[in-house]
Amino acid sequence: MPSIRRSEALGCWVPVLTGLGLLGILIATWPDPPQGPRFEGAGAPTPRSGGTFVFHHEENVRTLDPHIAYDELSGMAIRLLFDGLLDYDDESNLIPSLAADMPTVSEDGLRFRFRLRPGVRFHPMPGLPSGRELVAEDVSWSLHRLLSGAVGSPGYPFFSSILGADEYHRGEADRIEGIRVVDRYTIDFTLKEPDQTFLNAMAMTFAYPVPRENYEHWGEEVKFHPVGTGPYVFDEWERDVELRFSRNRRYWRDRPGPDRMIFQENLARELAAQRFRNGDLDAIHRQSPSDYRFFRNAERWQPYLSEFPRVSTFGIGLNCEMAPFDNVHVRRAVAFAIDRQGWSRARSGRLLPAGQILPPALPGHDPNLPEAHTFDLDRAREEMRLAGFPEGIREPVTVWISGQDQTSTQYGELLQQDLARIGIQVRMRFVSFAAYLTESGKPHTVPAFFTGWNMDFPDPSNFLDILFHSRSIHPENSENRAFYRNPELDAILDEARSETDRHRRIDLYRRANAIVSRDAPWAFTYYPLSMEVWQPYVKGYRPHPVWSQDYRNVWLDLPRRRLAERLVGAGSTAPAVFFPLGGRR
Amino acid sequence: MDQRAWRRFRKNKGALFGAVLVSFVTLTAVLGPLLAPHDPNEQLRETLINDDYEPAAPFEVPGHWLGADSTGRDELSRLLHGGRVSMMVAYLATLLAIAIGTLAGVTSGYFGGWIDFGWMRLVDLLLSLPFLLIAIAIQRVVEDPSLFFLILLLALLSWTTLARVTRSKVMQVRQLEYVQAALALGMGHLRILLRHVLPNVLGPIIVLGTTLVARMIIFESALSFLGLGVDPPDASWGSMLNEGRQQLAYPWLMLFPATLIVMTVFGFNLLGEGLRDAFDPKE
Repeated sequence: MPSIRRSEALGCWVPVLTGLGLLGILIATWPDPPQGPRFEGAGAPTPRSGGTFVFHHEENVRTLDPHIAYDELSGMAIRLLFDGLLDYDDESNLIPSLAADMPTVSEDGLRFRFRLRPGVRFHPMPGLPSGRELVAEDVSWSLHRLLSGAVGSPGYPFFSSILGADEYHRGEADRIEGIRVVDRYTIDFTLKEPDQTFLNAMAMTFAYPVPRENYEHWGEEVKFHPVGTGPYVFDEWERDVELRFSRNRRYWRDRPGPDRMIFQENLARELAAQRFRNGDLDAIHRQSPSDYRFFRNAERWQPYLSEFPRVSTFGIGLNCEMAPFDNVHVRRAVAFAIDRQGWSRARSGRLLPAGQILPPALPGHDPNLPEAHTFDLDRAREEMRLAGFPEGIREPVTVWISGQDQTSTQYGELLQQDLARIGIQVRMRFVSFAAYLTESGKPHTVPAFFTGWNMDFPDPSNFLDILFHSRSIHPENSENRAFYRNPELDAILDEARSETDRHRRIDLYRRANAIVSRDAPWAFTYYPLSMEVWQPYVKGYRPHPVWSQDYRNVWLDLPRRRLAERLVGAGSTAPAVFFPLGGRR
Repeated sequence: MDQRAWRRFRKNKGALFGAVLVSFVTLTAVLGPLLAPHDPNEQLRETLINDDYEPAAPFEVPGHWLGADSTGRDELSRLLHGGRVSMMVAYLATLLAIAIGTLAGVTSGYFGGWIDFGWMRLVDLLLSLPFLLIAIAIQRVVEDPSLFFLILLLALLSWTTLARVTRSKVMQVRQLEYVQAALALGMGHLRILLRHVLPNVLGPIIVLGTTLVARMIIFESALSFLGLGVDPPDASWGSMLNEGRQQLAYPWLMLFPATLIVMTVFGFNLLGEGLRDAFDPKE
């Protein structure tokens, strides 16, 4: 190509310009996604059965064995498949579930007698095609398996007050002394000391009764083949894609609900929001900041969403055994340097500033706590001076963050800027959630880390005991990841655990809460504001105060109807146009 | 570049356009910190995030003409600083790759034998490795990789094509009469290489080097996109693209770095093509 003639030069630009023009037109006329719901219910006055309910989570379900599972998303599936002896109502009160009524308690608060509801049946399982009845022996067998050292359940500490549980866990006894089957439907539990959280523990998914035959048949594989007594029967698990359940037609509590449920796992929140707006997903519970803003401002979605503070606390864990955070003044300086309002602005206003471990929903939280962490640069600088670092700390501090996406990077950058103001340089170390859990549980390993705690049951001990009692420090798998040791706090927590007078007990937790804020093993950052949205034809759902995403009471107001005028506004191109009911049910 | 090559180059409009793009991008990268109106890492959480919690859009807040990202940092300043990182990595990695590739190509082409065999098997080995996968694996294994490490990695994995082309060109040149004459006259190998061989293979090297810069920019972006590039809070175009992709509600966060990457790569490719045509009049 020695030279180019003018016409040739023009010739090569024509397709380029045309292409750019077409691209421009495409962008300008690209249809907006629908602004409101695309489907509505038929208007059935009473609950009815039928249809398929589709929900999701952005991570992967690891196991469906209730003895092992200790995370939010496994819990979503496990509560559909299993039942506990006890459950919570909509006001966080304990209510009987598989138990016929609340257990009777002896005078000294040490003996609990549970009477089981007769006629409850397990789902079909290998060798028992029509299931079998749940009896007291099942409850005993399940707890023995849960508490055996070989299983290594993370739920063990919640049940350690049962008489003989420790010996059994260590393998020194072949059964737990404090668990006794009285007759077919009656079981007694004896504690070694009064424990105000024992009934809460019995309502946790760990304590859900399971059939022995199923565990013996599957062995290790049982986590893929759950058999319970719950309202849904497990059908199939396409790993990393979805779990499918169908309604248990022999459920002891006969109530209407969807015939099938599909739990899509591994579905990113942005994608989930798109599918939801398109009508392919029936409920969403986590949103990116921009999707969150969309739903909050979309008028037509308002009746179908709920925004509420989750009972969780987030913060920066500061390892009290590692420099520079072995110095309480440095820890407090960090706590006072965090601009919580600024963080919230960068995160769509969804972070409620936190200054203490106990969230507002729990007894023991003190709105006027003098020790509470707030944003106060002068105080932060003063603490740095008291710590002996008036000019700041030369060595950068490594802060661990789990995940490496826009969200985790942004949190890290927010912290970087805030701590730079008091002379602490932050270096971020991005690790997987699994690596974070493993490494931060070992002493002298992780100096600082982004962390959070979501409640298992509505009691202050579920935060304070687990996160800050020196008993939660182990050579590995410590839950006290800040490695904070304070005999004064330990004594208060131990006293509170067995205190029977409710007011005195709350008072003890209030004191413990103040101590933790004062010593700042965490710099508390925020309580998250959650939003859940569901389709207009999804009935009977409200976010539960204890359980995350509890879909057991859902029913579908079918057939769902396409909203015609909104379709035009949406400029829809989805194949759903050709199916009057959305092509799904 | 001799007179004829320069004339051919000047007549090639595409190449000139590429040269303009390249010099524009390079200049902004070099002068970036001087041109940037703000600190690229300063979070203006109060001014650049509105009360509806949206980051400032382009032209919304005076003085911040390209808007802000969702943490409230000035987008223009980040782009200018980010370009600097991307360009520096690309240029340095290319220079290093050229150095290694030329050394390998010239020595193996000129001396042949075991030297040739050794270099070429190494090239075969490296060419059989999937580049990006290796880069990701190494970056993951090495704790806390630095920018220098990234440059070294990119260079070490991308000198192979250059070595092959140089080698074949050197083998041609070696057979030419004047080289043979120089050998017969007892000229030293080093002198022959520098005086007679290198000037002859410079053309292909420049051409390949130019397109290599374009590839390096893409690789750097890809690695940053995967979160393996620069450390936050510093930006590179790739990492900015990655952040933007996750916030499609604010399309400018993705559009600006993407446009710049495309523009730069396009420019370097045009320039490379033009140089090739200029140096190689056979077509």
